[in-house]
Amino acid sequence: MFSDLSAQKEGSSLLCRPSEDQGPVFERISLAYSPCSERFTVGERSFSRQYAHIYAARLMQMRPLLSERAQQKWGSDVLIRKLCDLQTGEQCCIVGTLFKRMDLQPSILKEISEDHNLLPQPARVKYISDMDELVLEDELQRIKLEGKIDRDKFVTGSVIAIYGAEKNDGKFTVEDFCMADLPPQSPRPTLTSDRFVLLVSGLGLGSTHADSMLGLQLLVDMVTGQLGDQGEQRCAATISRVLLAGNLLSQNTQDADASTKPKYLTKKTQAGSVEAIRLLDEILLQLVASVPVDVMPGQYDPTNFTLPQQSLHRCMFPLSSVYPTLQLVTNPHQCHIDGVRFLGTSGQNICDIQRYSSMDDHLEILEETLRLRHLAPTAPDTLGCYPFYQKDPFILEECPHVYFSGTAPTFQSKLVKGPDGQECLLVTIPDFNSTQTACLVNLRTLTCEPISFSAFSADEDEDSEMNVSH
Amino acid sequence: MLRSVTMTAKHGLITDSFKVVKKAKRGARKAKRPPSPPPTQQEAGAETPQEKELRTLRNFDLDWRFGPCIGISRLQRWERAKLHGLNPPEEIRELLLLQTHTDPKYNLSLWRDYPL
Repeated sequence: MFSDLSAQKEGSSLLCRPSEDQGPVFERISLAYSPCSERFTVGERSFSRQYAHIYAARLMQMRPLLSERAQQKWGSDVLIRKLCDLQTGEQCCIVGTLFKRMDLQPSILKEISEDHNLLPQPARVKYISDMDELVLEDELQRIKLEGKIDRDKFVTGSVIAIYGAEKNDGKFTVEDFCMADLPPQSPRPTLTSDRFVLLVSGLGLGSTHADSMLGLQLLVDMVTGQLGDQGEQRCAATISRVLLAGNLLSQNTQDADASTKPKYLTKKTQAGSVEAIRLLDEILLQLVASVPVDVMPGQYDPTNFTLPQQSLHRCMFPLSSVYPTLQLVTNPHQCHIDGVRFLGTSGQNICDIQRYSSMDDHLEILEETLRLRHLAPTAPDTLGCYPFYQKDPFILEECPHVYFSGTAPTFQSKLVKGPDGQECLLVTIPDFNSTQTACLVNLRTLTCEPISFSAFSADEDEDSEMNVSH
Repeated sequence: MLRSVTMTAKHGLITDSFKVVKKAKRGARKAKRPPSPPPTQQEAGAETPQEKELRTLRNFDLDWRFGPCIGISRLQRWERAKLHGLNPPEEIRELLLLQTHTDPKYNLSLWRDYPL
Protein backbone atom coordinates (compact mmCIF):
# COMPACT_ATOMS: atom_id res chain seq x y z
CA MET A 1 0.00 0.00 0.00
CA PHE A 2 0.96 3.58 -0.52
CA SER A 3 1.17 4.33 3.19
CA ASP A 4 3.58 1.44 3.74
CA LEU A 5 5.75 2.46 0.85
CA SER A 6 6.10 6.03 1.95
CA ALA A 7 6.88 4.94 5.51
CA GLN A 8 9.96 3.00 4.44
CA LYS A 9 12.71 5.40 5.11
CA GLU A 10 16.39 4.83 5.34
CA GLY A 11 17.28 7.78 7.55
CA SER A 12 15.15 10.84 7.02
CA SER A 13 16.47 13.16 4.41
CA LEU A 14 14.74 16.09 6.02
CA LEU A 15 16.80 16.50 9.14
CA CYS A 16 20.20 16.89 7.57
CA ARG A 17 22.35 19.66 6.25
CA PRO A 18 21.53 20.79 2.77
CA SER A 19 23.93 19.02 0.52
CA GLU A 20 25.82 20.63 -2.30
CA ASP A 21 24.64 18.32 -4.99
CA GLN A 22 21.07 18.17 -6.17
CA GLY A 23 18.95 15.49 -4.55
CA PRO A 24 17.92 12.46 -6.50
CA VAL A 25 15.39 12.92 -9.25
CA PHE A 26 12.45 10.56 -9.28
CA GLU A 27 11.00 9.90 -12.70
CA ARG A 28 7.26 9.66 -12.64
CA ILE A 29 5.95 6.43 -14.06
CA SER A 30 4.07 7.17 -17.24
CA LEU A 31 1.52 4.62 -18.25
CA ALA A 32 -0.22 3.73 -21.44
CA TYR A 33 -3.48 5.61 -21.47
CA SER A 34 -6.33 5.38 -23.88
CA PRO A 35 -9.62 7.16 -23.33
CA CYS A 36 -12.64 5.24 -24.56
CA SER A 37 -15.50 7.56 -23.79
CA GLU A 38 -16.61 8.00 -27.40
CA ARG A 39 -20.02 6.64 -26.59
CA PHE A 40 -20.53 9.41 -24.06
CA THR A 41 -19.82 12.21 -26.49
CA VAL A 42 -22.92 13.60 -28.13
CA GLY A 43 -22.32 14.82 -31.65
CA GLU A 44 -25.54 16.20 -33.06
CA ARG A 45 -27.77 17.59 -30.37
CA SER A 46 -31.37 17.18 -31.27
CA PHE A 47 -33.92 17.49 -28.53
CA SER A 48 -36.90 16.97 -30.82
CA ARG A 49 -37.29 13.35 -29.85
CA GLN A 50 -39.29 11.70 -27.14
CA TYR A 51 -37.75 9.58 -24.45
CA ALA A 52 -39.71 6.52 -25.57
CA HIS A 53 -36.76 5.67 -27.81
CA ILE A 54 -34.24 5.32 -25.03
CA TYR A 55 -36.51 2.93 -23.12
CA ALA A 56 -37.19 0.96 -26.31
CA ALA A 57 -33.49 0.77 -27.15
CA ARG A 58 -32.68 -0.23 -23.58
CA LEU A 59 -35.16 -3.08 -23.63
CA MET A 60 -34.01 -4.21 -27.09
CA GLN A 61 -30.42 -4.30 -25.89
CA MET A 62 -31.10 -5.97 -22.54
CA ARG A 63 -33.69 -8.56 -23.59
CA PRO A 64 -31.24 -11.10 -25.08
CA LEU A 65 -28.91 -10.75 -22.10
CA LEU A 66 -31.69 -11.25 -19.59
CA SER A 67 -33.27 -14.14 -21.48
CA GLU A 68 -29.91 -15.87 -21.31
CA ARG A 69 -29.59 -15.19 -17.58
CA ALA A 70 -33.13 -16.41 -16.98
CA GLN A 71 -32.35 -19.66 -18.76
CA GLN A 72 -29.23 -20.09 -16.67
CA LYS A 73 -31.15 -19.51 -13.48
CA TRP A 74 -34.45 -21.29 -14.06
CA GLY A 75 -33.39 -23.94 -16.56
CA SER A 76 -33.12 -23.78 -20.31
CA ASP A 77 -36.73 -24.87 -20.77
CA VAL A 78 -38.15 -21.92 -18.85
CA LEU A 79 -41.09 -20.30 -20.60
CA ILE A 80 -40.23 -16.73 -21.55
CA ARG A 81 -43.38 -14.82 -22.40
CA LYS A 82 -44.27 -11.39 -23.64
CA LEU A 83 -46.96 -9.72 -21.58
CA CYS A 84 -49.45 -9.94 -24.44
CA ASP A 85 -49.21 -13.74 -24.51
CA LEU A 86 -49.51 -14.07 -20.76
CA GLN A 87 -52.09 -16.57 -19.48
CA THR A 88 -53.56 -16.47 -16.04
CA GLY A 89 -52.03 -18.97 -13.66
CA GLU A 90 -49.21 -20.03 -15.97
CA GLN A 91 -45.72 -20.13 -14.49
CA CYS A 92 -43.46 -18.15 -16.76
CA CYS A 93 -40.68 -15.63 -17.01
CA ILE A 94 -41.06 -12.08 -18.28
CA VAL A 95 -38.36 -9.61 -19.29
CA GLY A 96 -39.31 -5.99 -18.93
CA THR A 97 -38.56 -2.51 -17.67
CA LEU A 98 -39.57 -1.64 -14.14
CA PHE A 99 -41.64 1.39 -13.38
CA LYS A 100 -42.28 2.52 -9.84
CA ARG A 101 -45.40 4.60 -9.41
CA MET A 102 -44.63 6.97 -6.58
CA ASP A 103 -47.05 9.37 -4.95
CA LEU A 104 -44.31 11.58 -3.61
CA GLN A 105 -42.38 11.91 -6.84
CA PRO A 106 -42.28 15.59 -7.73
CA SER A 107 -44.26 16.32 -10.85
CA ILE A 108 -44.39 19.62 -12.62
CA LEU A 109 -47.86 18.80 -13.89
CA LYS A 110 -49.14 18.29 -10.37
CA GLU A 111 -47.67 21.59 -9.26
CA ILE A 112 -49.13 23.72 -12.00
CA SER A 113 -52.49 22.03 -12.14
CA GLU A 114 -55.21 24.54 -11.40
CA ASP A 115 -57.52 22.04 -9.77
CA HIS A 116 -55.22 21.40 -6.89
CA ASN A 117 -53.70 24.79 -6.42
CA LEU A 118 -51.09 23.18 -4.24
CA LEU A 119 -47.97 24.70 -2.86
CA PRO A 120 -44.82 23.28 -4.40
CA GLN A 121 -43.69 20.23 -2.51
CA PRO A 122 -40.81 20.71 -0.15
CA ALA A 123 -37.65 18.99 -1.28
CA ARG A 124 -37.32 15.64 0.43
CA VAL A 125 -34.41 13.39 1.15
CA LYS A 126 -36.36 10.40 -0.11
CA TYR A 127 -39.44 10.10 -2.26
CA ILE A 128 -40.47 6.55 -1.44
CA SER A 129 -43.68 5.84 0.46
CA ASP A 130 -45.87 2.91 1.46
CA MET A 131 -48.24 3.65 -1.40
CA ASP A 132 -45.66 2.96 -4.10
CA GLU A 133 -46.46 0.37 -6.71
CA LEU A 134 -44.06 -1.59 -8.84
CA VAL A 135 -45.06 -2.17 -12.45
CA LEU A 136 -43.31 -4.14 -15.17
CA GLU A 137 -43.55 -2.92 -18.74
CA ASP A 138 -42.60 -4.54 -22.00
CA GLU A 139 -43.04 -3.19 -25.52
CA LEU A 140 -46.82 -3.29 -25.40
CA GLN A 141 -48.23 -3.70 -21.95
CA ARG A 142 -47.67 -3.35 -18.26
CA ILE A 143 -48.57 -5.40 -15.23
CA LYS A 144 -48.55 -4.71 -11.51
CA LEU A 145 -46.11 -6.74 -9.47
CA GLU A 146 -46.40 -8.22 -6.02
CA GLY A 147 -44.78 -11.05 -4.12
CA LYS A 148 -41.11 -11.65 -3.56
CA ILE A 149 -39.69 -8.45 -4.93
CA ASP A 150 -38.43 -5.59 -2.80
CA ARG A 151 -40.57 -2.74 -3.97
CA ASP A 152 -38.59 0.01 -2.26
CA LYS A 153 -35.21 -1.16 -3.42
CA PHE A 154 -35.88 -1.11 -7.13
CA VAL A 155 -36.02 2.02 -9.24
CA THR A 156 -37.78 3.02 -12.41
CA GLY A 157 -35.94 2.13 -15.58
CA SER A 158 -34.19 -1.04 -14.46
CA VAL A 159 -34.55 -3.94 -16.87
CA ILE A 160 -34.97 -7.26 -15.07
CA ALA A 161 -36.45 -10.72 -15.61
CA ILE A 162 -39.14 -11.96 -13.23
CA TYR A 163 -40.47 -15.45 -12.66
CA GLY A 164 -43.94 -16.23 -11.38
CA ALA A 165 -47.56 -16.30 -12.48
CA GLU A 166 -50.42 -13.95 -13.11
CA LYS A 167 -53.24 -14.21 -10.61
CA ASN A 168 -56.93 -13.78 -11.22
CA ASP A 169 -56.91 -10.16 -10.08
CA GLY A 170 -54.56 -9.25 -12.92
CA LYS A 171 -51.49 -8.81 -10.77
CA PHE A 172 -48.34 -10.79 -11.27
CA THR A 173 -47.03 -12.70 -8.27
CA VAL A 174 -43.26 -12.70 -8.41
CA GLU A 175 -41.53 -15.78 -7.06
CA ASP A 176 -38.04 -14.87 -8.13
CA PHE A 177 -36.25 -12.34 -10.27
CA CYS A 178 -32.86 -11.97 -11.87
CA MET A 179 -30.70 -9.12 -13.07
CA ALA A 180 -28.29 -8.97 -15.97
CA ASP A 181 -25.33 -9.17 -13.57
CA LEU A 182 -21.74 -8.30 -14.43
CA PRO A 183 -20.86 -8.04 -18.12
CA PRO A 184 -17.92 -9.98 -19.52
CA GLN A 185 -14.48 -8.66 -18.64
CA SER A 186 -11.20 -8.63 -20.49
CA PRO A 187 -8.30 -9.95 -18.40
CA ARG A 188 -6.24 -7.52 -16.37
CA PRO A 189 -2.53 -7.42 -17.14
CA THR A 190 -0.17 -8.54 -14.39
CA LEU A 191 1.96 -5.62 -13.32
CA THR A 192 5.35 -5.94 -11.73
CA SER A 193 5.45 -2.80 -9.64
CA ASP A 194 3.04 -0.70 -7.64
CA ARG A 195 1.53 2.20 -9.51
CA PHE A 196 -1.27 4.38 -8.37
CA VAL A 197 -4.11 6.43 -9.72
CA LEU A 198 -5.38 9.19 -7.47
CA LEU A 199 -9.14 9.73 -7.45
CA VAL A 200 -10.48 13.02 -6.12
CA SER A 201 -14.00 14.37 -6.22
CA GLY A 202 -15.77 17.50 -5.08
CA LEU A 203 -13.01 20.09 -4.79
CA GLY A 204 -15.78 22.59 -4.16
CA LEU A 205 -13.88 25.68 -5.26
CA GLY A 206 -15.63 28.96 -4.73
CA SER A 207 -17.55 27.86 -1.69
CA THR A 208 -18.26 30.45 0.97
CA HIS A 209 -16.08 28.72 3.53
CA ALA A 210 -12.84 27.68 1.95
CA ASP A 211 -11.99 24.96 4.47
CA SER A 212 -10.55 22.69 1.89
CA MET A 213 -7.97 25.09 0.50
CA LEU A 214 -5.18 24.02 2.82
CA GLY A 215 -6.01 20.38 2.33
CA LEU A 216 -6.19 20.87 -1.42
CA GLN A 217 -2.81 22.58 -1.53
CA LEU A 218 -1.33 19.76 0.55
CA LEU A 219 -2.81 17.27 -1.89
CA VAL A 220 -1.31 19.09 -4.86
CA ASP A 221 2.08 19.34 -3.13
CA MET A 222 2.00 15.67 -2.22
CA VAL A 223 1.27 14.60 -5.80
CA THR A 224 3.85 16.92 -7.32
CA GLY A 225 6.49 15.71 -4.88
CA GLN A 226 6.99 18.91 -2.92
CA LEU A 227 6.06 17.34 0.37
CA GLY A 228 7.96 15.11 2.75
CA ASP A 229 11.33 13.52 2.46
CA GLN A 230 12.87 11.45 -0.28
CA GLY A 231 10.88 8.35 0.62
CA GLU A 232 7.63 10.19 0.22
CA GLN A 233 8.80 11.84 -2.95
CA ARG A 234 9.70 8.47 -4.40
CA CYS A 235 6.18 7.32 -3.64
CA ALA A 236 4.66 10.40 -5.17
CA ALA A 237 6.42 9.45 -8.38
CA THR A 238 4.41 6.22 -8.49
CA ILE A 239 1.17 8.19 -8.77
CA SER A 240 0.82 7.96 -12.50
CA ARG A 241 -2.43 9.80 -13.03
CA VAL A 242 -4.91 12.02 -11.22
CA LEU A 243 -8.63 11.72 -11.94
CA LEU A 244 -10.86 14.56 -10.79
CA ALA A 245 -14.37 13.16 -10.62
CA GLY A 246 -16.64 16.13 -10.82
CA ASN A 247 -17.96 18.98 -8.70
CA LEU A 248 -14.78 20.95 -9.07
CA LEU A 249 -16.80 24.04 -8.32
CA SER A 250 -19.01 24.46 -5.32
CA GLN A 251 -22.77 24.69 -5.47
CA ASN A 252 -22.42 28.26 -4.24
CA THR A 253 -21.01 29.34 -7.58
CA GLN A 254 -24.39 28.68 -9.13
CA ASP A 255 -26.16 31.89 -8.44
CA ALA A 256 -29.81 31.13 -7.95
CA ASP A 257 -30.78 34.78 -8.39
CA ALA A 258 -29.11 35.12 -11.75
CA SER A 259 -31.89 33.37 -13.60
CA THR A 260 -34.74 35.16 -11.82
CA LYS A 261 -33.35 38.68 -11.63
CA PRO A 262 -33.93 40.95 -14.57
CA LYS A 263 -31.01 41.36 -16.95
CA TYR A 264 -30.45 45.05 -16.29
CA LEU A 265 -29.73 44.34 -12.64
CA THR A 266 -27.22 41.59 -13.26
CA LYS A 267 -25.51 43.14 -16.24
CA LYS A 268 -22.42 44.27 -14.44
CA THR A 269 -22.15 41.47 -11.89
CA GLN A 270 -19.75 38.68 -12.59
CA ALA A 271 -20.90 35.10 -12.45
CA GLY A 272 -19.74 33.37 -9.28
CA SER A 273 -18.08 30.66 -11.26
CA VAL A 274 -15.59 32.94 -13.03
CA GLU A 275 -13.34 33.37 -10.02
CA ALA A 276 -13.64 29.69 -9.11
CA ILE A 277 -12.67 28.57 -12.60
CA ARG A 278 -9.62 30.83 -12.46
CA LEU A 279 -8.65 29.20 -9.17
CA LEU A 280 -9.19 25.79 -10.69
CA ASP A 281 -6.99 26.72 -13.62
CA GLU A 282 -4.19 27.64 -11.24
CA ILE A 283 -4.51 24.39 -9.31
CA LEU A 284 -4.63 22.38 -12.50
CA LEU A 285 -1.54 24.19 -13.74
CA GLN A 286 0.42 22.95 -10.72
CA LEU A 287 -0.81 19.43 -11.29
CA VAL A 288 -0.52 19.08 -15.07
CA ALA A 289 3.05 20.37 -15.04
CA SER A 290 3.94 17.19 -13.22
CA VAL A 291 1.31 14.51 -13.74
CA PRO A 292 -1.41 13.68 -16.29
CA VAL A 293 -4.85 14.76 -15.09
CA ASP A 294 -8.33 13.71 -16.21
CA VAL A 295 -10.98 16.31 -15.45
CA MET A 296 -14.58 15.16 -15.37
CA PRO A 297 -17.39 17.67 -14.94
CA GLY A 298 -19.98 17.23 -12.21
CA GLN A 299 -23.37 18.48 -11.18
CA TYR A 300 -22.31 22.05 -10.42
CA ASP A 301 -19.69 22.50 -13.12
CA PRO A 302 -20.14 24.84 -16.08
CA THR A 303 -21.15 22.37 -18.78
CA ASN A 304 -24.43 20.84 -19.88
CA PHE A 305 -26.69 19.48 -17.15
CA THR A 306 -28.02 16.35 -18.82
CA LEU A 307 -26.06 13.13 -18.75
CA PRO A 308 -23.73 12.40 -20.44
CA GLN A 309 -22.11 15.67 -19.47
CA GLN A 310 -19.71 16.86 -22.12
CA SER A 311 -16.19 17.84 -21.22
CA LEU A 312 -15.42 21.31 -19.91
CA HIS A 313 -14.23 23.65 -22.62
CA ARG A 314 -10.51 24.27 -22.98
CA CYS A 315 -10.96 27.99 -23.23
CA MET A 316 -11.81 28.09 -19.54
CA PHE A 317 -8.28 27.01 -18.67
CA PRO A 318 -5.89 29.36 -20.46
CA LEU A 319 -2.95 28.41 -18.21
CA SER A 320 -3.24 24.66 -17.94
CA SER A 321 -4.75 23.79 -21.30
CA VAL A 322 -1.43 24.31 -23.05
CA TYR A 323 -0.15 21.15 -21.39
CA PRO A 324 -0.92 17.92 -23.24
CA THR A 325 -1.25 16.20 -19.87
CA LEU A 326 -4.59 17.91 -19.23
CA GLN A 327 -7.42 15.69 -20.40
CA LEU A 328 -10.86 17.24 -20.28
CA VAL A 329 -13.22 14.30 -20.39
CA THR A 330 -16.91 13.50 -20.23
CA ASN A 331 -19.02 12.38 -17.31
CA PRO A 332 -19.43 9.34 -17.29
CA HIS A 333 -15.82 8.64 -18.12
CA GLN A 334 -14.22 5.45 -19.33
CA CYS A 335 -10.55 4.81 -20.00
CA HIS A 336 -7.78 2.26 -19.98
CA ILE A 337 -4.85 3.07 -17.73
CA ASP A 338 -2.04 0.59 -18.29
CA GLY A 339 -4.59 -1.99 -19.37
CA VAL A 340 -6.80 -1.46 -16.33
CA ARG A 341 -10.27 -0.36 -17.32
CA PHE A 342 -11.74 2.54 -15.37
CA LEU A 343 -15.37 3.55 -15.56
CA GLY A 344 -17.27 5.96 -13.39
CA THR A 345 -19.39 9.01 -12.92
CA SER A 346 -19.35 12.12 -10.79
CA GLY A 347 -22.10 10.67 -8.65
CA GLN A 348 -25.37 12.11 -9.96
CA ASN A 349 -26.68 8.67 -10.89
CA ILE A 350 -26.00 7.28 -7.41
CA CYS A 351 -27.48 10.29 -5.59
CA ASP A 352 -30.61 10.04 -7.71
CA ILE A 353 -31.14 6.35 -6.94
CA GLN A 354 -30.60 7.17 -3.28
CA ARG A 355 -33.54 9.57 -3.42
CA TYR A 356 -35.87 7.14 -5.15
CA SER A 357 -35.09 3.86 -3.40
CA SER A 358 -34.65 2.54 0.11
CA MET A 359 -30.92 2.09 -0.38
CA ASP A 360 -28.79 4.67 1.39
CA ASP A 361 -25.28 3.45 1.10
CA HIS A 362 -23.45 4.75 -1.98
CA LEU A 363 -21.36 1.60 -2.25
CA GLU A 364 -24.44 -0.60 -2.16
CA ILE A 365 -26.11 1.47 -4.88
CA LEU A 366 -22.95 1.39 -6.96
CA GLU A 367 -22.89 -2.39 -6.77
CA GLU A 368 -26.58 -2.54 -7.62
CA THR A 369 -26.03 -0.54 -10.82
CA LEU A 370 -23.23 -2.91 -11.76
CA ARG A 371 -25.52 -5.90 -11.20
CA LEU A 372 -28.26 -4.22 -13.22
CA ARG A 373 -25.61 -3.62 -15.86
CA HIS A 374 -26.78 -0.05 -16.19
CA LEU A 375 -24.98 3.13 -15.14
CA ALA A 376 -28.04 5.29 -14.65
CA PRO A 377 -31.35 3.41 -14.66
CA THR A 378 -33.30 6.40 -13.38
CA ALA A 379 -32.35 8.45 -16.43
CA PRO A 380 -34.44 9.84 -18.11
CA ASP A 381 -37.20 9.52 -15.48
CA THR A 382 -35.75 11.55 -12.64
CA LEU A 383 -32.25 12.22 -13.92
CA GLY A 384 -31.55 14.52 -16.85
CA CYS A 385 -30.48 12.63 -19.94
CA TYR A 386 -29.94 13.28 -23.63
CA PRO A 387 -32.72 11.70 -25.77
CA PHE A 388 -30.76 8.90 -27.37
CA TYR A 389 -32.60 6.72 -29.87
CA GLN A 390 -30.14 4.31 -31.46
CA LYS A 391 -28.74 2.72 -28.34
CA ASP A 392 -28.52 3.36 -24.64
CA PRO A 393 -24.88 4.28 -23.90
CA PHE A 394 -25.31 3.72 -20.17
CA ILE A 395 -25.60 -0.04 -20.53
CA LEU A 396 -22.30 -1.63 -19.52
CA GLU A 397 -21.02 -3.73 -22.37
CA GLU A 398 -17.72 -4.61 -20.79
CA CYS A 399 -17.02 -4.94 -17.10
CA PRO A 400 -14.61 -2.30 -15.80
CA HIS A 401 -11.82 -3.22 -13.39
CA VAL A 402 -12.35 -0.07 -11.37
CA TYR A 403 -15.88 1.29 -11.10
CA PHE A 404 -16.17 4.57 -9.23
CA SER A 405 -18.61 7.30 -8.38
CA GLY A 406 -17.86 10.74 -7.04
CA THR A 407 -19.40 13.07 -4.45
CA ALA A 408 -19.99 10.35 -1.87
CA PRO A 409 -20.35 11.24 1.82
CA THR A 410 -17.58 8.84 2.86
CA PHE A 411 -14.84 6.75 1.32
CA GLN A 412 -15.75 3.13 0.77
CA SER A 413 -14.37 0.43 -1.44
CA LYS A 414 -15.08 -3.18 -2.12
CA LEU A 415 -13.95 -5.88 -4.53
CA VAL A 416 -16.89 -7.66 -6.13
CA LYS A 417 -16.64 -10.89 -8.02
CA GLY A 418 -18.88 -11.82 -10.91
CA PRO A 419 -20.29 -15.20 -11.87
CA ASP A 420 -17.73 -15.64 -14.65
CA GLY A 421 -14.72 -14.74 -12.56
CA GLN A 422 -14.90 -10.99 -13.18
CA GLU A 423 -13.20 -8.85 -10.57
CA CYS A 424 -14.24 -5.28 -10.13
CA LEU A 425 -13.12 -2.76 -7.56
CA LEU A 426 -15.92 -0.45 -6.47
CA VAL A 427 -14.86 2.92 -5.10
CA THR A 428 -16.99 5.73 -3.76
CA ILE A 429 -14.84 8.84 -3.87
CA PRO A 430 -15.64 11.13 -0.94
CA ASP A 431 -16.42 14.78 -1.37
CA PHE A 432 -13.03 16.44 -0.86
CA ASN A 433 -14.46 19.71 0.33
CA SER A 434 -16.16 18.16 3.35
CA THR A 435 -13.94 15.16 4.09
CA GLN A 436 -10.51 16.33 2.87
CA THR A 437 -10.03 12.80 1.63
CA ALA A 438 -8.95 11.41 -1.71
CA CYS A 439 -8.31 7.81 -2.69
CA LEU A 440 -5.43 5.97 -4.26
CA VAL A 441 -6.03 2.92 -6.42
CA ASN A 442 -3.17 0.50 -6.74
CA LEU A 443 -3.26 -0.87 -10.28
CA ARG A 444 -1.14 -3.90 -9.43
CA THR A 445 -3.17 -5.28 -6.54
CA LEU A 446 -6.48 -3.62 -7.44
CA THR A 447 -6.89 -2.21 -3.95
CA CYS A 448 -7.80 1.23 -2.79
CA GLU A 449 -6.93 3.28 0.25
CA PRO A 450 -8.00 6.72 1.39
CA ILE A 451 -5.53 9.53 1.84
CA SER A 452 -6.60 12.33 4.11
CA PHE A 453 -5.32 15.89 4.36
CA SER A 454 -7.42 17.08 7.20
CA ALA A 455 -5.61 19.83 9.03
CA PHE A 456 -7.96 20.96 11.74
CA SER A 457 -10.66 18.36 11.69
CA ALA A 458 -11.17 18.38 15.46
CA ASP A 459 -11.90 22.04 15.91
CA GLU A 460 -14.33 23.80 13.66
CA ASP A 461 -13.44 27.28 14.91
CA GLU A 462 -9.90 27.11 13.72
CA ASP A 463 -11.19 26.17 10.31
CA SER A 464 -13.21 29.31 10.03
CA GLU A 465 -10.24 31.37 11.09
CA MET A 466 -8.35 29.93 8.17
CA ASN A 467 -10.80 31.53 5.80
CA VAL A 468 -9.42 34.95 6.41
CA SER A 469 -6.20 34.22 4.64
CA HIS A 470 -7.97 33.06 1.49
CA MET B 1 -63.11 4.17 -52.50
CA LEU B 2 -63.14 1.26 -54.88
CA ARG B 3 -65.97 1.11 -57.28
CA SER B 4 -66.87 -2.39 -58.28
CA VAL B 5 -68.26 -3.19 -61.68
CA THR B 6 -70.91 -5.74 -60.74
CA MET B 7 -74.38 -5.13 -59.39
CA THR B 8 -73.65 -1.82 -57.85
CA ALA B 9 -72.52 -0.34 -61.13
CA LYS B 10 -75.89 -0.96 -62.68
CA HIS B 11 -78.03 0.48 -59.93
CA GLY B 12 -75.61 2.91 -58.52
CA LEU B 13 -75.26 3.66 -54.86
CA ILE B 14 -76.67 6.57 -52.98
CA THR B 15 -73.15 7.49 -52.03
CA ASP B 16 -72.33 8.08 -55.67
CA SER B 17 -74.43 11.17 -55.74
CA PHE B 18 -74.13 12.07 -52.07
CA LYS B 19 -70.67 11.69 -50.64
CA VAL B 20 -70.36 10.18 -47.19
CA VAL B 21 -69.82 12.92 -44.71
CA LYS B 22 -69.07 12.09 -41.12
CA LYS B 23 -70.60 14.41 -38.65
CA ALA B 24 -67.93 16.33 -36.83
CA LYS B 25 -68.38 16.37 -33.11
CA ARG B 26 -69.06 19.79 -31.87
CA GLY B 27 -68.13 21.30 -28.55
CA ALA B 28 -65.11 21.85 -26.40
CA ARG B 29 -63.41 18.59 -27.34
CA LYS B 30 -62.62 19.70 -30.80
CA ALA B 31 -60.71 22.75 -29.72
CA LYS B 32 -58.47 20.74 -27.48
CA ARG B 33 -57.44 18.31 -30.14
CA PRO B 34 -54.02 18.82 -31.69
CA PRO B 35 -54.04 20.15 -35.22
CA SER B 36 -54.63 17.26 -37.54
CA PRO B 37 -52.46 16.75 -40.60
CA PRO B 38 -53.72 17.81 -44.01
CA PRO B 39 -56.05 15.17 -45.40
CA THR B 40 -54.40 12.84 -47.82
CA GLN B 41 -56.12 12.77 -51.13
CA GLN B 42 -57.85 9.55 -51.87
CA GLU B 43 -57.69 8.38 -55.39
CA ALA B 44 -60.07 6.06 -56.99
CA GLY B 45 -58.83 3.17 -58.99
CA ALA B 46 -56.18 0.57 -58.44
CA GLU B 47 -53.08 1.03 -56.35
CA THR B 48 -50.16 2.60 -58.12
CA PRO B 49 -46.67 1.19 -57.44
CA GLN B 50 -45.94 4.28 -55.42
CA GLU B 51 -48.94 3.67 -53.21
CA LYS B 52 -47.91 0.11 -52.70
CA GLU B 53 -44.46 1.19 -51.58
CA LEU B 54 -45.90 3.70 -49.20
CA ARG B 55 -48.23 1.09 -47.79
CA THR B 56 -45.29 -1.24 -47.15
CA LEU B 57 -43.49 1.57 -45.38
CA ARG B 58 -46.57 2.40 -43.32
CA ASN B 59 -46.83 -1.21 -42.28
CA PHE B 60 -43.22 -1.05 -41.20
CA ASP B 61 -44.05 2.00 -39.07
CA LEU B 62 -46.87 0.16 -37.41
CA ASP B 63 -44.79 -2.90 -36.54
CA TRP B 64 -44.34 -2.51 -32.79
CA ARG B 65 -41.38 -4.88 -32.62
CA PHE B 66 -39.06 -2.23 -34.01
CA GLY B 67 -39.84 0.34 -31.35
CA PRO B 68 -41.38 3.80 -31.49
CA CYS B 69 -41.30 5.61 -34.82
CA ILE B 70 -42.13 9.20 -33.92
CA GLY B 71 -39.28 11.70 -34.11
CA ILE B 72 -36.79 9.60 -36.06
CA SER B 73 -36.54 8.81 -39.73
CA ARG B 74 -37.57 5.44 -41.13
CA LEU B 75 -34.00 4.60 -42.01
CA GLN B 76 -32.81 5.41 -38.49
CA ARG B 77 -35.50 3.16 -37.11
CA TRP B 78 -34.56 0.40 -39.50
CA GLU B 79 -30.91 0.69 -38.55
CA ARG B 80 -31.70 0.58 -34.85
CA ALA B 81 -33.70 -2.61 -35.35
CA LYS B 82 -30.83 -4.09 -37.35
CA LEU B 83 -28.32 -3.10 -34.65
CA HIS B 84 -30.28 -4.94 -31.98
CA GLY B 85 -30.72 -8.04 -34.09
CA LEU B 86 -34.45 -7.75 -34.71
CA ASN B 87 -34.16 -8.65 -38.41
CA PRO B 88 -36.12 -5.82 -40.01
CA PRO B 89 -37.19 -6.63 -43.58
CA GLU B 90 -34.43 -5.91 -46.05
CA GLU B 91 -36.87 -4.63 -48.68
CA ILE B 92 -37.69 -1.64 -46.48
CA ARG B 93 -34.09 -0.53 -46.50
CA GLU B 94 -33.81 -0.98 -50.24
CA LEU B 95 -36.97 1.00 -50.71
CA LEU B 96 -35.68 3.80 -48.51
CA LEU B 97 -32.28 3.94 -50.14
CA LEU B 98 -33.71 3.91 -53.64
CA GLN B 99 -35.82 6.95 -53.03
CA THR B 100 -34.50 10.44 -53.22
CA HIS B 101 -33.64 11.58 -49.74
CA THR B 102 -35.81 14.64 -49.87
CA ASP B 103 -39.32 13.27 -49.99
CA PRO B 104 -40.64 13.22 -46.43
CA LYS B 105 -43.37 10.81 -47.51
CA TYR B 106 -40.70 8.18 -47.77
CA ASN B 107 -38.10 9.29 -45.27
CA LEU B 108 -40.29 10.07 -42.31
CA SER B 109 -42.80 8.02 -40.42
CA LEU B 110 -46.54 7.95 -40.74
CA TRP B 111 -46.98 10.55 -37.97
CA ARG B 112 -44.57 13.08 -39.48
CA ASP B 113 -47.15 15.86 -39.66
CA TYR B 114 -48.19 15.66 -36.04
CA PRO B 115 -46.48 17.95 -33.61
CA LEU B 116 -44.36 16.21 -31.03
